[in-house]
Amino acid sequence: MKNAGEAALEKVELSGKRSTPIKSMLGRRETGIVVPALLLFVFFSLFSDSFLTQYNMFNISRNLSFYIFIALGQAVVIAIGGMNLSVGAIGGLSTIAVGHILVNMGLPGSVAITVGLLTGITAGFLNGIIITKLKLNPFIVTLSTSFLFTGLVYGISKGYPYTDIPKSFTYVGRKSFLGFPIVFWMLIIILFALYYLYRHTVLGRRLLATGGNENAARLSGINTDRMIILANVLSGFFASMTGVLYVSRMGSAQPATGQNWMVTSFAVAIIGGTSLDGGIISSIGLFAGGVIMVLIKNGLILMEANVYFEQAFLGMIILFTVSLDSIKDLLKVLKNRNSED
Amino acid sequence: MLILKNITKTFPGTKALDDVCLSFQNGEIHALLGENGAGKSTLINIICGIYPNYEGTVILDDKVLKLRSYQDALETGISIVNQEIQTIPDSTVAENIMLDKLERFQKWGRLNWKELNNKALEYIKMVHLDLEPGVKVGPLSTAQKQLIQIAKALASETPVLLLDEPTSALTEHETATLFTLLRELREKGKNLIFVSHKLDEIFALCDKVSVIRDGRWIGTDKIQNLDREGIIKMMIGRETSDEYLGVLEPDRDTVVLEVKDLFLKNKVNHTSFQLKKGEILGFYGLVGSGRTELAKVLIGEDRYQSGEVFVNGEKVIIRSMSEALKKYGIGYVSENRKEEGLILDFSVETNIGLTIWDKIRGKISRKISRTKEDKIVLPLIDRLKIKIASPQQEVSSLSGGNQQKVSIGKWLAADCDILIVDEPTIGVDIGAKEYIHDLIWDLAKNKGKSIILISSDLPEMLKLSRRIMVFQNQNIMGTLDDLTGEPKNNDEVSLKIGGLMI
Ligand SMILES: Nc1ncnc2c1ncn2[C@@H]1O[C@H](COP(=O)(O)OP(=O)(O)OP(=O)(O)O)[C@@H](O)[C@H]1O
Ligand SMILES: [Mg+2]
Repeated sequence: MKNAGEAALEKVELSGKRSTPIKSMLGRRETGIVVPALLLFVFFSLFSDSFLTQYNMFNISRNLSFYIFIALGQAVVIAIGGMNLSVGAIGGLSTIAVGHILVNMGLPGSVAITVGLLTGITAGFLNGIIITKLKLNPFIVTLSTSFLFTGLVYGISKGYPYTDIPKSFTYVGRKSFLGFPIVFWMLIIILFALYYLYRHTVLGRRLLATGGNENAARLSGINTDRMIILANVLSGFFASMTGVLYVSRMGSAQPATGQNWMVTSFAVAIIGGTSLDGGIISSIGLFAGGVIMVLIKNGLILMEANVYFEQAFLGMIILFTVSLDSIKDLLKVLKNRNSED
Repeated sequence: MLILKNITKTFPGTKALDDVCLSFQNGEIHALLGENGAGKSTLINIICGIYPNYEGTVILDDKVLKLRSYQDALETGISIVNQEIQTIPDSTVAENIMLDKLERFQKWGRLNWKELNNKALEYIKMVHLDLEPGVKVGPLSTAQKQLIQIAKALASETPVLLLDEPTSALTEHETATLFTLLRELREKGKNLIFVSHKLDEIFALCDKVSVIRDGRWIGTDKIQNLDREGIIKMMIGRETSDEYLGVLEPDRDTVVLEVKDLFLKNKVNHTSFQLKKGEILGFYGLVGSGRTELAKVLIGEDRYQSGEVFVNGEKVIIRSMSEALKKYGIGYVSENRKEEGLILDFSVETNIGLTIWDKIRGKISRKISRTKEDKIVLPLIDRLKIKIASPQQEVSSLSGGNQQKVSIGKWLAADCDILIVDEPTIGVDIGAKEYIHDLIWDLAKNKGKSIILISSDLPEMLKLSRRIMVFQNQNIMGTLDDLTGEPKNNDEVSLKIGGLMI
């Protein structure tokens, strides 16, 4: 006779595929978002002539990449049960750091990139250390540091943009490879790396476990403080990477970079199925979230709609995605009630 | 009279209740028994409106109930002591007790704290809680929270009272007080339904017994017509062999853990002891006597102010659970599975796997080997008889006892040299309890692991430990050495333990 464990083992091997052990990658949340993203895409291809043009596709995929880069800075901390209100400020700080080094100091691009990224990593590390060691709420900590970093941005730049960025520095942000922007390829690689990290590695699963229940994770021998610091460092890294790429794309370093990132980062991360309770993050979801975001902006322009309504659309979509689960539950209750009568 | 007719309840992948018919009389304490996952909590949650969707009919005093929420149930005269502790940590004891009736203490839109505290105090005293109404609930012990929940249900003063494992975190003494109280309520003609896995309690308290197995009604009878073996057989379909486990032969010369004069204000009071290799050392005491507090200091969750700790003869300072586990091979099964043991939204497999990922990942790919994970996790699921639809099922959808098994399974998988188990069998059924005892025994006897057993369950303590330290008010009152564990000595040992606690 087989015991239950063996039977289960067999079932797993027979069916070949299995559901994810942590509701991480292809959870139910994503179908709810991938489908609307696809529908939106089809809709605009059918109803707008200029939508599928090469020029527009280039633009869309590049904007998409930037939206998702911004969202990554938020998603990685939401997934451990935290948040980062200073993503934009960190992005701005890196932007300014790059501008300062390239223009005022005249140093090469490699130095600028390194310092730009280190700025973000350091800022994220600072957030993480304060949150864990002083046991403070991430909301308060990152709200405060966002003022701190923004202050530095204006202090260093005095509010002026750095415009004399060498042409060579704009290569990555402006050029394409195999028909798609280089930043889009970067996005694909990063999303795959994150998929692998969260789905398959110990580190990724520990990060998610910390988000799922910090106490239980800590008492299972996970160094949760380290996980929180790491997530904040990652968040800082993505914010600064986005900042550096903005300079490359714009050909200038604007002190205003990052000012509207906070809202965008939450919007795309949440639409993309990152659980505000922690414990869930999804590459595919984030991609779909970015698609929706960019299509709303791009589509409204193409349809010559009143673009000033853009935010209203976004708000509705966020509300819709976060209430998907509750709507499903409601429908179920209603169905049961009807079948009872 | 409360009547259930043809109740069926289906969850995705499980039929939790299947055509159950039962009736409960006023002035009776009716025990509802069954294995973990049999459907007891589901039934109780249906009666009190927490699960509004089910097939069948619930009738209270000739009226068909159509409850949509627990609020409805309270208004109809039904209240529940939930199996899971659901206190609000940042509110006071009084607020927690009066939570569903706070508006009664409101005047001109303002809460009358004095009246609230006075009223709450009545119920605090009723359950013999030694607490001020104004203290916050968060830092209290599991047992104290349990008593607060009971007080809360009592304060609703409803004719029907459902008690889903109210005694799981209580000691004998507290349980006895509760029983006196419940008997008084029975005299007053209340309708009481009582769920417990402790058969002694059933015989001491209840008038009638109903058993369900796999969601189906098995039988109902007066307690006079039943005996222990009969009930067990109805519940699990076989007999248990609560047999004597034998002698343990620890390596008396090898001290794996030594604690010297450990002190942490209000938590650990100048404690010293030694743990030998292959030994099961019992920490016995009433709730709040400082056993969990000591354990938390040992695993680095709390820092001690003075004293010394030695692991394998070497002086150490353990700063966190992760250090305890990785450097010193110390594990800790928490008494509070919900808050500290489990990640409820994650799968059973992930929860058990938490402690072993390091050992089963690829060197270069860093990838967790699913096959290796299955090889460790699935046999444990099987040995602990965890009732699940698949290893990918979310832990939150398991019955309480099965969640507890997951919480223990995680640490059995970890293969620790020193394992501290804090109330390991809370809410676990009789059959599964035996498996867990066997597993713990096997670790010490055959694998040379050293165990600290914290338990308020005296029979469990006597069965497993061959050395028992008795705790009271953060002090060690005495140690009973060289116990044989033979059931014939149990009374004598219990008396000795009682004698140590003044
Ligand atoms: N939300 C849910 N989703 C899926 N299955 C569920 C859900 N809630 C309960 N179940 C299943 O229903 C069955 C009955 O569970 P229930 O909690 O009633 O058991 P119980 O008799 O109270 O057990 P215990 O003694 O462990 O508390 C179990 O198999 C459980 O896994
Ligand atoms: Mg139950």
